[in-house]
Amino acid sequence: MWDLLARSLGASTIFLFAALGELVNQRAGVLNVGLEGLMLFGGTAAFITAQTTGSLALGFLAGLLIGGLLGLAHGLFSITLRGDQVVSGMGLWILSFGLTTYLGNAYTGPLGLARIPSVLGLSPFFLLGFVLVAMTWFLLFRTSLGLAIRSAGENPAAAEASGISVLAIRYLCVTFGGVLAGLSGASYTLSYNPVWNYNFLMGWGFVSLALVFFSMWNPWILMAGASLFGIMWQLSLSPELVLPGVLSRYIWRTVPFAITIPILVIISTPWFRTRWGLAKPEALGRPYTRG
Amino acid sequence: MRVGRYSLALDPRPAVSPIYAVLTAVVAILLALALSSFLFLSADANLFGAYRTVFAYAFFTPRGILATLQRAIYLLFCTYAFLVPLRAGLWNIGLPGQVFAGALAAFAVPSLLRAQETAALPLAAAVIVLLMVVAAAAAGGLLGGLAGLLRARLQVNEILVTMMLNSILFWLVSYMIKEGGPFMGATAEGEGFTLPSPLTAPLFRGVPYTAALALGAAILLDLLFAKTALGYRIRAFGENPAAARYGGISPVALPLLVFLLGGAFAGLAGYHAFTAIPGVYKIPGNYGFYGDLSFYGLISALIARGSALGAVPIAVLFAGLSLGARFAQGALRLPFGVDYALLGLLMMTFVASHVFYQFRITWRRVPAEALQPVSTETGGR
Amino acid sequence: MLVQADRAPAEPILAVRGITKRFPGVLALDHVDLAVEAGDVHAILGQNGAGKTTLMNILFGLVQPDEGALSLRGQRVHFRSPHDAIAQGIGMVHQTRRLVAAHTVLENIVLGHPRVRGLLNLRSARVEVEQLCRRYGFTVDLGARVWQLSEGERQWVEILKALYGGATILILDEPTSVLTPPEVRTLLAGLQALVRDQGVTVLLVTHKLPIVMAASHRVTVLRAGRVVARLRTAEATEELLVQHMIGRDVAFSTMERSAEVGRPLLQVEDLSAFNDRGLLALRGISFSLREGEVLGVAGVTGNGQEELVQVLAGLRPATSGTVRVDGRDVTHLPPLQRWRMGIGYIPAERFEVASIAAFSLVENTTLNYHFDPAYTPRGLLDELGLAQLTRRILSIFNVQAPHHQTRAQHLSGGNLQKLILGRVLLRRPRLLIAHLPTQGLDVEATAFVRAKLLDARAEGAAVVLISEDLDEILSLADWVAPIYEGRFVAVLPRRQADAEIVGAMMAGLPQREAGTG
Repeated sequence: MWDLLARSLGASTIFLFAALGELVNQRAGVLNVGLEGLMLFGGTAAFITAQTTGSLALGFLAGLLIGGLLGLAHGLFSITLRGDQVVSGMGLWILSFGLTTYLGNAYTGPLGLARIPSVLGLSPFFLLGFVLVAMTWFLLFRTSLGLAIRSAGENPAAAEASGISVLAIRYLCVTFGGVLAGLSGASYTLSYNPVWNYNFLMGWGFVSLALVFFSMWNPWILMAGASLFGIMWQLSLSPELVLPGVLSRYIWRTVPFAITIPILVIISTPWFRTRWGLAKPEALGRPYTRG
Repeated sequence: MRVGRYSLALDPRPAVSPIYAVLTAVVAILLALALSSFLFLSADANLFGAYRTVFAYAFFTPRGILATLQRAIYLLFCTYAFLVPLRAGLWNIGLPGQVFAGALAAFAVPSLLRAQETAALPLAAAVIVLLMVVAAAAAGGLLGGLAGLLRARLQVNEILVTMMLNSILFWLVSYMIKEGGPFMGATAEGEGFTLPSPLTAPLFRGVPYTAALALGAAILLDLLFAKTALGYRIRAFGENPAAARYGGISPVALPLLVFLLGGAFAGLAGYHAFTAIPGVYKIPGNYGFYGDLSFYGLISALIARGSALGAVPIAVLFAGLSLGARFAQGALRLPFGVDYALLGLLMMTFVASHVFYQFRITWRRVPAEALQPVSTETGGR
Repeated sequence: MLVQADRAPAEPILAVRGITKRFPGVLALDHVDLAVEAGDVHAILGQNGAGKTTLMNILFGLVQPDEGALSLRGQRVHFRSPHDAIAQGIGMVHQTRRLVAAHTVLENIVLGHPRVRGLLNLRSARVEVEQLCRRYGFTVDLGARVWQLSEGERQWVEILKALYGGATILILDEPTSVLTPPEVRTLLAGLQALVRDQGVTVLLVTHKLPIVMAASHRVTVLRAGRVVARLRTAEATEELLVQHMIGRDVAFSTMERSAEVGRPLLQVEDLSAFNDRGLLALRGISFSLREGEVLGVAGVTGNGQEELVQVLAGLRPATSGTVRVDGRDVTHLPPLQRWRMGIGYIPAERFEVASIAAFSLVENTTLNYHFDPAYTPRGLLDELGLAQLTRRILSIFNVQAPHHQTRAQHLSGGNLQKLILGRVLLRRPRLLIAHLPTQGLDVEATAFVRAKLLDARAEGAAVVLISEDLDEILSLADWVAPIYEGRFVAVLPRRQADAEIVGAMMAGLPQREAGTG
């Protein structure tokens, strides 16, 4: 049971890193629906680098770098070129999906390196996740930069008229989001499940995206949500630990995705919206032109 | 951005001629092909030989041409599945899930009628085939319609819902065809049961009748959008939902409709992929590949900028490319996934071409500025 | 009229020379020169589209000029962004609110302020801002969320923000357009105090002559992107300024109205509705209207007008009450059915809601005809018929457009509005709902639209007119209903409605008090 919990927390950090990054760039007003693509590419780059150099650290670095670069690319298209953020996000996803299948194919199989030691029985990534959540919360709500970020996402015209460069803020946040997505992918392929297979994420990225909406853009609620999803995920992978023999394991695999849909529905109802829906950054997804 | 004495600016392009649209499409495809040359670097042949292998197999050998046509039909249905909601400004990326739903529904008909053996058909084969087609379209449509309804009534993000449904359907198919599931094939090797030959799609010179459906649909779709009131409403909603609502277009009925239609096309794609391609005639263990392949349909619709007939040559091209690439992979001993990589490159070049489609780069001379104090006593007219 | 303090001619605090700005397809500013004296209230006067806002955006660093130079206090300056302008002591209060509605007043004031760097220490900032409020005589709850404030209060928050940022030059872009008459008086008095006691220089951008005459020392008149006059306000008259603004004499005529009133058409009883934030925006509106009558709803934006038109058009659900047209209960009828039965609606947002920018003019016309069997035989679009109809609209309504297949985005605001008007009026609606129909239009287009509204009235339509322009309401309406906080303060026949009384009602002053005005 404890093992299940530990694995669940490990799974939850995958969700957490990606969703946290996305939360920050959504707070600034940029929507990145291609999150799964950045995670895939980051994870693949990390895996390939780690396996060829034998160094986990370099692998992580590669993952962060690729994630950041792809985030930057998304920023270029959506911020400077004022393109449709959904087109760019989808483009990044399919691009990553296609390219990583090809690039990673030669490396299909286990990583073969020493596993990252756990700290007090918990994955070190969980502790890192906790630190990141605390830092993000502090940044967003206790610093002037955070106020600027939140204003850029609510009303970029107001932020600009206050002397803030909405462009710079959004680029910063979208790159940060990319770096964290890369971290998420890297921790998947280097720690949580160090075996490369094509499309290894199988939809996690989109669940992370949903988590950002569920969290109402609050880092602490996000952490709670990610933990819950991590447990649910782990359960769906090994249902025999809790409910042996009930339902085919394939049906269990559908559970995390199936649960997401009713939650999405509930938070979209007028009842929920009028109470808590005001948390959504007003300018999310809309391109901004100065002046 | 300033370069010397000139400044570079990106202005929105006011109007786009159809010729320009075609031009950007062609450039995007050529660019992707050019970029894909790095995929062939490790090949046994030189670069030119590699490309020739790809094209020659797909378009110049009898087997290849037939296979290309088969796949093109599949891609076309996927294209329409994405295209119809796209014209309404909505993203149906639930193609894989809807394809799988269509496939399951199509195979459910003979399964429920206990018609898995040739000898024991309870109804005329033609009737059963008709039921299979209708079931496939209905299943795909319902799945799409679910996403459309949630989007229409509650503004739930359709990208999220369709991706969730994709994963759910994927595992559902596994359940049905593996480890003792209801559709498991006789060999129990993780694939579905084989369709008895009377229930497979009728062929005309090796081409299934679904080809006619696909081409007919292209014509009908373009006519729909250009000439009918309904098509107008879909386009208006896609351009400006607020204005469409003002014009009396229902913000609930319309998204629902386009997703029902789109999903139905994807269901038909599923029907075609598993019951109409000779040599398949079952849900294979690698069914996930067909789900991935459906994204070529997505890109075709994007590159064709919403024109169904325009998507036909593009889908044929992509069908041939993906088949030829897979063939070349084997013949030239390339790593797996050349077709996937090509998919990714195409998406990248499309997005880049989209920038040039929407914007125009202008050069402007920066004039010298003058500064003289302005007198305040210049009153009067 | 302001009392002029005698000052010797000095170096202007802000000077602008040869400013030129081009946007795709239009020359917004053409070699504009401007000189502003320190301690002045300097009015920038011009019609909508004359280039006033563009010029101010350049002064504030939001927009870069293509040619020309700025100098501040005798030094040449170049603003790459508002950050630079703010650093040099320029503050701007825009036409539309630049506040983050979801944040508090204090958070908005300190946003981007150089003293509030790094850690967000709201406590010390609060002390400083409160000091500032006392000094300038403002009272506002710093902890309130901006969406809870009235328009007038929000404007003061923006002014306070500019002053907290150290502004010595304050640019106000059309500050009075969303204020009630009493709020306007408060604003002008406050500006005078700022200029007199604190030495702030004010640039006041407006198209309203009374404001210019009452509040400014000097006025620069812009027309079509050029400076056409620079005057001391003391030496100017309203007629002179109008001539400069539009280039020739325009007679201020009252509209000719014949009175043929028909049977009752529209009956609204106790209508209530929520706004998008879930607050009650309409509280029991009741009125009735006959064929051939115009009801003018006068009020400042934000008092429920938008919700009222949306409910009448079927685009917003009513929470209680009924709407009856010709005896038939239409309260819950969808928009399509309403258009079919002869209701016509002209929304205020002509680019965002009433038209589709990327569509051609014919396709835009189709927006009101796609459900009409006469133009959609068997579900197919009658392209020829629609093209013909569009050409008719273009000619009857004097729409300047190259071709009926041109895209709507290439039309100017005025021409687009004429197209929309024509599209709706050619359906011969029995009930016409017009929301801010002349907003942002030049003098000619405005007169044209008003004439067409009266034509509709003469043909027996009942017209519900929502306008912020009291003069417009008084010249067109048979009944005047000032709206305040979701209620009709009264429904007055025209002869009982004069500007003072209606203005007071718009501000929420009780009728008894207003009667003594």
